Amino acid sequence: MAPIRVLMAKPGLDGHDRGAKVVSRALRDAGMEVIYTGLRQSPEQIVQAAIQEDVDIIGLSCLSGAHNSLFPKVVELLKARGAGEIAVFGGGVIPEADIPGLRAAGIEAVFTPGTSLEEIVTFIRERVSGQ
Amino acid sequence: MTSCWQRQLAKAITKIENMDPQALAEAASLPLDNSSVQIIGVTGPPGGGKSTLCSQLIEALASKHKVAALLVDPSSPFSGGAILGDRIRMQALVSNPNVYIRSLSNRGNAGGVGSSVVSILRAVMSAGFDYIIIETVGAGQSEVKIASIADTTLVVSVPNLGDDIQAVKSGILEIADILVINKADLPGVDSLYIALRESAQKHVDGWTVPLCQTVALEGLGIDALLVEIDNHWQWLQQAGRLLEKRKLAAKFEIMELSRVLLQKHLDKVPADVLARNLNRKDINLLQRLDEVYSELLNLFGEV
Ligand SMILES: Nc1nc2c(ncn2[C@@H]2O[C@H](COP(=O)(O)OP(=O)(O)O)[C@@H](O)[C@H]2O)c(=O)[nH]1
Ligand SMILES: [Mg+2]
Repeated sequence: MAPIRVLMAKPGLDGHDRGAKVVSRALRDAGMEVIYTGLRQSPEQIVQAAIQEDVDIIGLSCLSGAHNSLFPKVVELLKARGAGEIAVFGGGVIPEADIPGLRAAGIEAVFTPGTSLEEIVTFIRERVSGQ
Repeated sequence: MTSCWQRQLAKAITKIENMDPQALAEAASLPLDNSSVQIIGVTGPPGGGKSTLCSQLIEALASKHKVAALLVDPSSPFSGGAILGDRIRMQALVSNPNVYIRSLSNRGNAGGVGSSVVSILRAVMSAGFDYIIIETVGAGQSEVKIASIADTTLVVSVPNLGDDIQAVKSGILEIADILVINKADLPGVDSLYIALRESAQKHVDGWTVPLCQTVALEGLGIDALLVEIDNHWQWLQQAGRLLEKRKLAAKFEIMELSRVLLQKHLDKVPADVLARNLNRKDINLLQRLDEVYSELLNLFGEV
């Protein structure tokens, strides 16, 4: 069976990627192939990497508070480059109040620090196999 | 628009990697003898700076040429999943329109690359690159497969990785077309240099394996390394060696495809035969197995 390919990226300027690494390991342990791209990626770099890597889904992690501009920008660029079927989810320190706006902008799920890793794995599996 | 052809290539690679029969057949119809593409393999211990070095090589080459990089990391033996992290060292190259970078899992294969790597090479080659760089897993001693796949194999060593003699003993040095001491900014580089110099003086039909020193993190020694990479390329062509190298790659491809196809049979045929025969009422398998045996012979054939 073909493994699910996930790009994990950290847009924005904050320098912490522990959360993204913990999620990456959980996804690997669930049999997925996780392309980890490191810190401080611009939305353009994230989208270009996602296209080169032919991923099914992108996970964005942001702690800097810039999620409201950076996350939707990724979705927008994917569409502009004809890769709109690549799904996007987000995580990090994101206020409840911002979530509806992000969902409306095409971020299909937003995981806040309380979310279990299992929940994230299940979301990705269902989202990707349901395509 | 770069994203368009990159997307097509990316999707083709995924299908080949997943052993999609049609994609494999399509890849198999593409030539491997293109002599305007140099395939450069980079192997060496984990953490030796292979990705950093590849990043420098790609950046330098991409100023004038189209460069593809295949970066292989190991899969987890428990889940089959993988974390592919080589791109971290290559962030600056992502938006370069001359560069295509693809991370690959070794999908459980020993030897530093996956089974489908040569089929992937055919697809990448036909996409019109001048250079294809392959970074192997970096498990050390068992990484010799890259030498059958690449035209030019770089073996990276680093100072103070335990015993300098270890590198010499492991046998990995023997596959080198070019030896690279990376992290030449660290102490211990002199004794490593002395230990490696002997291997480096080995002549192979007119090719003397050069010994280069680099500090990949700072981009030092890259130009000299590129000169040696080009020297090796010239030698391969002048000595008529290039097609021999590519034949080795095709041989690797045939062996790997055979193994994968055979494994598919092994996964399926015995289960089918068991399902058909285990609870038969008309014969007692404990008394005679000859019918089942001839069924197996029919399915697998005699070799
Ligand atoms: N001191 C020093 N460190 C280096 C050099 N090249 C790479 N590194 C570091 O070595 C570590 C591993 O590098 P990486 O390229 O990921 O190695 P790989 O596992 O062989 O691909 C990173 O922290 C690099 O920054 C170098 O020339 N000198
Ligand atoms: Mg690496």
